[in-house]
Amino acid sequence: MAQPLVKKDDDRDDEADYSPFLGIEKGAVLQEARVFNDPQLDARRCSQVITKLLYLLNQGETFTKVEATEVFFAVTKLFQSRDIGLRRMVYLMIKELSPSADEVIIVTSSLMKDMNSKTDMYRANAIRVLCRITDGTLLTQIERYLKQAIVDKNPVVASAALVSGIHLLQTNPEIVKRWSNEVQEAVQSRAALVQFHALALLHQIRQNDRLAVSKLVTSLTRGTVRSPLAQCLLIRYTSQVIRESSNINQTGDRPFYDYLESCLRHKAEMVIFEAAKAITELSGVTNRELTPAITVLQLFLSSSKPVLRFAAVRTLNKVAMTHPMAVTNCNIDMESLISDPNRSIATLAITTLLKTGNESSVDRLMKQITNFMSDIADEFKIVVVEAIRSLCLKFPLKYRSLMNFLSNILREEGGFEYKKAIVDSIVILIRDIPDAKESGLLHLCEFIEDCEFTYLSTQILHFLGIEGPKTSDPSKYIRYIYNRVHLENATVRASAVSTLAKFGALVDSLKPRIFILLRRCLFDSDDEVRDRATLYLNTLEGDGSIVETDEEVKDFLFGSLEVPLANLETSLKNYEPSEEPFDINSVPKEIKSQPLAEKKAPGKKQTGLGAPPSGPPSTVDAYDKLLSSIPEFSSFGNLFKSSPPVELTEAETEYAVNVVKHIFDSHVVFQYNCTNTIPEQLLENVTVLVDASEAEDFTEVASKPLRALPYDTPGQTFVAFEKPEGVSAVGKFSNMLRFIVKEVDPSTGEADEDGVEDEYQLEDLEVVAADYVLKVPVSNFRNAWESMDPDSEQVDEYGLGPRESLTEAVNAVISLLGMQPCEGSEVVPNNSRSHTCLLSGVYIGNVKVLVRLSFGIDSTKEVAMKLAVRSDDISISSAIHDIVASG
Amino acid sequence: MILAVLFANSEGNILVERFNGVPAEERLHWRSFLVKLGADNLKGVKNEELLVACHKSVYIVYTVLGDVSIFVVGKDEYDELALSEVIFVITSAVKDVCGKPPTERLFLDKYGRICLCLDEIVWKGYLENTEKDRIRRLIRLKPPSEF
Repeated sequence: MAQPLVKKDDDRDDEADYSPFLGIEKGAVLQEARVFNDPQLDARRCSQVITKLLYLLNQGETFTKVEATEVFFAVTKLFQSRDIGLRRMVYLMIKELSPSADEVIIVTSSLMKDMNSKTDMYRANAIRVLCRITDGTLLTQIERYLKQAIVDKNPVVASAALVSGIHLLQTNPEIVKRWSNEVQEAVQSRAALVQFHALALLHQIRQNDRLAVSKLVTSLTRGTVRSPLAQCLLIRYTSQVIRESSNINQTGDRPFYDYLESCLRHKAEMVIFEAAKAITELSGVTNRELTPAITVLQLFLSSSKPVLRFAAVRTLNKVAMTHPMAVTNCNIDMESLISDPNRSIATLAITTLLKTGNESSVDRLMKQITNFMSDIADEFKIVVVEAIRSLCLKFPLKYRSLMNFLSNILREEGGFEYKKAIVDSIVILIRDIPDAKESGLLHLCEFIEDCEFTYLSTQILHFLGIEGPKTSDPSKYIRYIYNRVHLENATVRASAVSTLAKFGALVDSLKPRIFILLRRCLFDSDDEVRDRATLYLNTLEGDGSIVETDEEVKDFLFGSLEVPLANLETSLKNYEPSEEPFDINSVPKEIKSQPLAEKKAPGKKQTGLGAPPSGPPSTVDAYDKLLSSIPEFSSFGNLFKSSPPVELTEAETEYAVNVVKHIFDSHVVFQYNCTNTIPEQLLENVTVLVDASEAEDFTEVASKPLRALPYDTPGQTFVAFEKPEGVSAVGKFSNMLRFIVKEVDPSTGEADEDGVEDEYQLEDLEVVAADYVLKVPVSNFRNAWESMDPDSEQVDEYGLGPRESLTEAVNAVISLLGMQPCEGSEVVPNNSRSHTCLLSGVYIGNVKVLVRLSFGIDSTKEVAMKLAVRSDDISISSAIHDIVASG
Repeated sequence: MILAVLFANSEGNILVERFNGVPAEERLHWRSFLVKLGADNLKGVKNEELLVACHKSVYIVYTVLGDVSIFVVGKDEYDELALSEVIFVITSAVKDVCGKPPTERLFLDKYGRICLCLDEIVWKGYLENTEKDRIRRLIRLKPPSEF
């Protein structure tokens, strides 16, 4: 490839094919521009000079202020010429020069004259130039003309004014907003482009007025939209209205869905795609709604146009994240895209297939990917590695071929980010799939033999120290670790010493030999390596003078810090060197939740695209850690389930509180996440008083107040209840926030000494049966059902009374039970009189439960339901019946 | 927003670059990125066959026309399909001005005209005109024929 930044003219010497701009030089062109001042203008020559100036500007050349001013003044002289071609160039040149405010005045009168000219094209261009260079004051002077131009019968003039309006809305919104009536009229224009531009402008003017946007959409979806571009805009605005209304009407249909669906049959591909995309992005989209959209996207997959293939596979890739089953029909078409010459398309196809593939197709897929990996860039490879990781977690039985694949690509060339993604994936697989551990560790050992990244080597050594000693033959890892002490830089050597020590501490049979190796490290050239070796030798060989027992040694080497690292970092930064040593016990143990700013954002920017904002995948882990770090709750055993946060205050109140219900076998802990939104207040000793008089089975056993709640720094307070073990006790709790409030001086940020006790009423909270059930899907319901003991099955029939529709009845039972609908059976086809819904879940006590619901509705809308439950424990089957009977 | 329209010759030298809403310090980066993208992928591609890429939320549609490669970069409402519409307008206007897929020389000979076409097609990041016949008339300051 040639030097991309070299100007075109520098590398040409072919006489026959020389460039018209050969040897062009800014200074010379500026000299030439003097022809603009000639009394007898040569229009052709002037046009040529302007072309040269444009060429310079278009190559990123800049003019100094003086040069630009000089050219600008000269160009304004050209308004005298009557040559049309030249005039068109002049308009462009003025825009390119974007003169400063004090210079603009020179051309305003000429442009104003053109704006009132009888020649339409002068008007259109003058509008565009004026709007480009104008400021607010001038705009008010020409506003009248612009309003007229918007409804001008010449479409070019109208479009010029409308597009100018779109730009001016950014700088002078209050003026442009006054043009609504004219813009509204232009929306009805017969000229396709005028309608497109008018629609865009009108929507921008009214975007904050929901009702107006809704009206606009309602009227246009019924009327005629002439250009495909405008139709695309309308589809986008329609999905916005759907998102914001989010109520499904009485027949169970979504408003405007029919419009979107009809756009799937439009003749322009752009419109079809836009509609399909809008449908896939509907929140809570059902399979029935998705099907037609997926069908057209599937057709696009085999289009001859790369852009269409790309758009389709990109959209399907997104759908696969939330509705993998809906996309499986397209798998065959997508497999053929793996060999697509456009690598972006191929990567998207592969990652989609990895999301939607089933267990039997894994091997075939991996074979295809292997060939593909060698010719894509690292950033695509990372995407593939991440997709393979999730696939492996989904089908743990396939770990062998997936782990092999990862180890193979680990050996190939690649940058840091790519290698890190592979190592992270292997580490995760080792952690989550016990069978994969030994082979995974060996792959990592081989990798550090030839790893150029210090960060990855140390990370792997640390991981080996944790996992290696627990394997059947820990000795086989020692060679790889000790090699590092010989061959690597000081950082890696120090890590290797620590890892060796861990093996020594945990595997008694290796201890004497590890000591020999560690003693050799005492002669290392690096301080840190020697220090570590000395420390470990003294603690592990200890004669009792440094540490007392073996347990203490292990605790010292392996014990975690028991404080979140982020908190430790903050405390260390705040520590000022003094006589008093740093006390690790002073570090707060609470995990900070998201700050206020982030929390507010989703409310405002809720786009509704894709899945609702769910917590990070490790939320449950984080909760588990947090709760077990609190001594009062550490004896409660394993955390079974944590609910999503339930808001206990309205939005935008003084104190924002939500609660997470943590369910244990015989306890329930309420975690109140509190945020103080008043800068002038500091809250101390924050607790929640819970009245459990309407929850008879619950007895309060502990509560953990929050010491201080400063402005905009969320904190947590907890209340724990005991309940009968294994029983899904339900009840209603009323909550009162109690605290001591202290005034804060906003200038210094210091709080008053004295505070006042105060209370704040929160909403009530309920613990319901669904809180005791985890949503756990099964991949094949029929197999799962048949593999369960038929004797555990309990069947009964229930009358659900009159209902709006079957859908409503089905949804009510699903949310009552809190179980996972399987195989898309939560969707009731239109107008059907009966329906079967399949649910799966895990009941508290880790008991697997499957439910088969059969519904029927009669002409009076009375719904009857047959409920069949199978579970590992027959008492749980009855418990499910009790939930339904009492619900 | 259409963030950039860029023309380069077959050796990767810039012929035209127009940015909208891209800070000056990022332009150099975009220029080299696009030229490299073209060098990696455009070899052997037929005239007007569209290639597509995306980087985070930014889309790029590009193609070759004669000796010239054309890149269009957009975001938000200018996704890959909208950009393919934009690039279609650009290629047809260029062909119209040059009479055929241009050699580099022909492109430079018609440079002024092509600049005017681009001015009619993209107005500070928004698509303004879409029909080549109309554009041909507009750059001569003649009203559109359907009017």
